Amino acid sequence: MERQGEACGAAIMDMTPDDRLRELLAKDFAIPAERLTPQATLEELEVDSLRMIEIAFAIEEAFGISVDEDAAALMGRITTFGDLSAYVGGLVAAQGKAASGT
Amino acid sequence: MKRVVVTGLGIVSPLGDTLEGFFAALTHGRSGIRRLEGRFHERHAGTVGAPATFDAEIRFDAPRLRMLDRVSQFALAAAQDALAQSGGALEGVDPARAGVFVGTGNGGGSSADDAYWTLYGEGGDRVHPFSVLRAMSNAPAAWIGLEHALAGPNLTFSTACSSSAVAIGEAMRRIRHEEADVMIAGGTEAPLNFGSLKAWEGMRTLAAEDSQDAAASCKPFAKDRTGLVLGEGAAMLVLESRERALARGATIHAEIAGYGLATDAGHLTRPSVEGQAAAMKAALADAALAPADIDYINAHGTATLANDAVETAAIKAVLGDRAREIPVSSTKSMHGHLLGAAGALELAAAILAMARGIVPPTINLRHPDPECDLDYVSEGARSMPLRAVMSNSFAFGGTNAVLVASR
Repeated sequence: MERQGEACGAAIMDMTPDDRLRELLAKDFAIPAERLTPQATLEELEVDSLRMIEIAFAIEEAFGISVDEDAAALMGRITTFGDLSAYVGGLVAAQGKAASGT
Repeated sequence: MKRVVVTGLGIVSPLGDTLEGFFAALTHGRSGIRRLEGRFHERHAGTVGAPATFDAEIRFDAPRLRMLDRVSQFALAAAQDALAQSGGALEGVDPARAGVFVGTGNGGGSSADDAYWTLYGEGGDRVHPFSVLRAMSNAPAAWIGLEHALAGPNLTFSTACSSSAVAIGEAMRRIRHEEADVMIAGGTEAPLNFGSLKAWEGMRTLAAEDSQDAAASCKPFAKDRTGLVLGEGAAMLVLESRERALARGATIHAEIAGYGLATDAGHLTRPSVEGQAAAMKAALADAALAPADIDYINAHGTATLANDAVETAAIKAVLGDRAREIPVSSTKSMHGHLLGAAGALELAAAILAMARGIVPPTINLRHPDPECDLDYVSEGARSMPLRAVMSNSFAFGGTNAVLVASR
């Protein structure tokens, strides 16, 4: 996690979706990076269904992808930060827009 | 029936967010009105406003802030301060008997304005996912209830410029009739966004900027008054029964002795002497006080041509000879018109005036209007003992609300 602050184009393209997700949650949602372990549950991270709506919106903006499921479905599918990261990684791979960081 | 008292006051205003700073500004005749700056300021006809002096980032962290329209930020801050001042009004209360009544004219209008800008200005397809939660009119009251775990009645009153006087009056009645033990009641408004300013501009009721001094643009009761100046902020009161307040050793700031309501059923915007007078009369009757008992009126005093002459006539109709003996001032000359929050902020001003024995002035009244011939305290603040005070709030839509507070 050396890369912090404003992500310029070159740096962001080098980052994995997992790194970018960590940075986004730390920067915009005030969740300290050290708490974002794969096992950390959303409950422990104080992410409720409302916060998940906002996170899904931010993920769509940051990754240029579309998250089609509603918050309740996401909360059902995702229990931990590891689940969220894998889910985002899957969408990025499927939608093939990983490099179009904004 | 219980007697209802105020044990906490909290404000966010164009004259600061402390009671001391606010009242000092009022007594020194300092104005919080200034020329508005912002993205669209050159396109305003109403070039002046009274922005709140408020630092949201000190009060809220970033994730919380994204959920809150400015109108809810003000409300939460004022409620927090009111509760802190109450010295533990919520300790030991049954949450089901503690509620929140908030008045607001337009709720989270700034968030709606932001979303419209995204859609129509920038041509975007996506608005912020919390646009609904930020813009809904009951968000301020809901947030206060959530923040302090108050499970009793949580209501939002929207009667334009009398919204918060209605909220306080209705909350007082809940406690008086023993339906609640503690109520947080007041109002909040954040109308200084471009869309709202343009809407008010269209009504042709906004003051022209004073050519010498923007801060002097609001001139209630003056011959040269040109209209109202929009202001933003909030004021919240902690209300409980006198009995409960005494039992827990709380400081009592005032008693809410009376609340009067009467509607102008004649015209949507044109005020009537009869409607305003009926509300004042009802408030006096509710307080079981006579005109001779009232020592100060904090007037609605918007500085519109229509209101100030009508209100003057209505005060004379209700108080008779007493009308000429007592001071009547419009503090809107300094803090602007807070619309749905006006009644609460002005009641706070009247309560502080009574507690300190100082009547705040009406500033910018240099050219008297023959139709406005009461004692408007235009020469500056005046020291005098005040036993009971009246605060007037009149509104588009015709809902006239008057509150009477006593020591």
